[in-house]
Amino acid sequence: MTSKDTVPFGATAGSHRKQNAAPRRWRAAAMVSAALLMLGVSGLAVRAADPIKVGILLSLSGNFAENGQQTLTGLKMYFDKVGNTAGGRPLQLIVEDTQSRPDTAVTKARKLVQSDGVSVLTGIVSSGEALAVNAYSRDSKTPLVLSGDAGVDELTMPGPLQNPYMVRITQNGRSVASAAAEWAYKKGWRKVVTIGSDYAGGIDTNFSFAQAFCKFGGKVIQAEWPPVGSADFGPYLTNLDRSADAVVVFEPGADGLRLARQYSEFGLKDKLPIMDIYAGMVFESNLPQLGDATVGMYSSLFYTPMLKSPENQAFVAEFQKRMHALPNNEGPNGYVGAHAIVDAIDALHGDISDKMKFMAALRAIKFDSPKGPISLDKYGQVIQTQYIRQVQMVDGKPSNVPIASYPNVDQFWPFTLAELQSFKYGYKESKDSLTDCTHLLAKK
Amino acid sequence: MTWVIHILNGVAFGMLLFLLAAGLSLIYGLMKILNLTHGSFYLVGGYIGLTVMQVTGSFVLALIAAVLAVALLGAVIERFFLRRFHLDELPQTLVTFGFLFIFSDLSLWIWGGNPLMLNVPHIFQGSLPMGYYAYPYYRLFLIAVGLLVAGGLWWFQERTRLGTMLRAGVDDAEIARALGINVSLLFTLVFAVGAGLAALAGVLAGPVLSLYPGADFEVLIFAFVVVVIGGLGSLRGALAGALLVGILDDFGKAFFPQFALFTVFVPMAVILVMRPTGLFGRQ
Repeated sequence: MTSKDTVPFGATAGSHRKQNAAPRRWRAAAMVSAALLMLGVSGLAVRAADPIKVGILLSLSGNFAENGQQTLTGLKMYFDKVGNTAGGRPLQLIVEDTQSRPDTAVTKARKLVQSDGVSVLTGIVSSGEALAVNAYSRDSKTPLVLSGDAGVDELTMPGPLQNPYMVRITQNGRSVASAAAEWAYKKGWRKVVTIGSDYAGGIDTNFSFAQAFCKFGGKVIQAEWPPVGSADFGPYLTNLDRSADAVVVFEPGADGLRLARQYSEFGLKDKLPIMDIYAGMVFESNLPQLGDATVGMYSSLFYTPMLKSPENQAFVAEFQKRMHALPNNEGPNGYVGAHAIVDAIDALHGDISDKMKFMAALRAIKFDSPKGPISLDKYGQVIQTQYIRQVQMVDGKPSNVPIASYPNVDQFWPFTLAELQSFKYGYKESKDSLTDCTHLLAKK
Repeated sequence: MTWVIHILNGVAFGMLLFLLAAGLSLIYGLMKILNLTHGSFYLVGGYIGLTVMQVTGSFVLALIAAVLAVALLGAVIERFFLRRFHLDELPQTLVTFGFLFIFSDLSLWIWGGNPLMLNVPHIFQGSLPMGYYAYPYYRLFLIAVGLLVAGGLWWFQERTRLGTMLRAGVDDAEIARALGINVSLLFTLVFAVGAGLAALAGVLAGPVLSLYPGADFEVLIFAFVVVVIGGLGSLRGALAGALLVGILDDFGKAFFPQFALFTVFVPMAVILVMRPTGLFGRQ
């Protein structure tokens, strides 16, 4: 490993600096004059020797530890690939564990910026942490490249959360749900049942699906909301409206794993097809545990390790070497995040002192990634390909094989920003009205 | 037919809860320790079972290994840590709380953060067709195991010499000691048995509920609800409470889905108001 990693506990730099105040003033004066002198001689040359510090905020303990670890692997893979340099300057990564908690995330962000002097923050798994750190980034004018899962739609939409110092290269809830809706309608499904994890992310995702599905001409006929951590989906499965064409699901984490097995155990797998938004049921690490219980299930996501592009095949090979497992969406997200940071620094030849220029360079990135082609819209949200996958047996192993793709999906599709802003109700007012298309498409 | 499935489902879930709560209740009944490490016993037991099953492929071996290992772990914790705070409830609870966190981090470190599921043992794979639906054989097996353990525990308590000593210890530890019963050894034994029961629940629940960081805290809450409803320290209470919670939870979620989060807690609140000591608890 070439980079100098500071692992979670190592916050010692700040405490050293506090000792002997008297010589410090002298040293500071000397340094300032020296710096001024050299700046006059050759500004760029000096800065080229300085490392650029990148602060990585990830959940490495707590509920989202696995997500954090996978994202970190992706980030490091790309930084290692470019030899931990960008724009002619060495990159120094400083990793902090947010413990999956928003308050800790902000404390660690502040530590990274004020005491370690990082130039850019990246990572962040949960939406709660993203909202908190986003506010800090805006207030402190610190560039933030979201490279973790956090998918709250509003973060990158014009509105109170908008932050000129933030870009998100990962995902947002609506796009994945919309791809599922479009494909479901084309497949011929008209009436579906939705099952959504009962928290903001689940309601938002299934709301986005229902809204898009209504626009295309379909309809949700029943919406079930099992609480997060549902031990048993039996009561929900036996209550399904059987006149439906299919069941559309958003159930991340252990809930998805349980539902995947129970769905087939209760004899429903061959009767009602499944569309799994975000692939919580057919998550990469779930597949080998479930035997053939998932074969035939559909899912929508912006990635699958089965993509045949050279970028992805190289990525998967290297990822497997490091993690001994197939990547899900997080590894590629981290990898793309690091790629974006490196490209933006390269574009400015290492001089990222002007933050607005740096943000502009970030917004201008464009490259091919394991996920497919990547670019950003003017609000800083990624434009990327959405895939519909189906679990099929490949070499004797259940795998998420891509069966359809939607290139260049932006965060508003299938609506426009103006249309979205004209809707009367958001997801918060719609949990009990998912079956009512007039409600979902009502204008202000 | 759906009614039958709902009832079977509730009972199967109830049996898992019973295995969990029985140990918790047993320990509290005798030692007055509110054992928060119980959640860890469940999770660590499940994980050990998972590893043994991956290595040997045998579900029976997985059950035996997990129960023995965790029972031993329980005995060590009782002997070397809890013993120091005998009858001092707050420090005891804090010690068990500390262990809960330690085991939580240790298992995250060893088994990682992805949810893991045990395979259903071969003979119980597949489902019983029931009208439009089907019902997994494994859950029928769970019901049978729950009944068997309940019967076994009852027999142990009511019909064996050790059980008599145990009941004497629950009634009045000091007098029991005066009568020559080795209450100290009994404590260790009961703590180990309680831990083993939790591990049994962990392995048995593995193929249904899966194992993941945080499951220890989740099942702990369920176990508490059950013993609060049934009455702390009573085996009959644990069984009744577990079945009640299991069935109410299933029917609540099926017929009043908007209250899904409270299906378990509403009965608890109601029973606490009507009978603060629980259904079978002593006044």
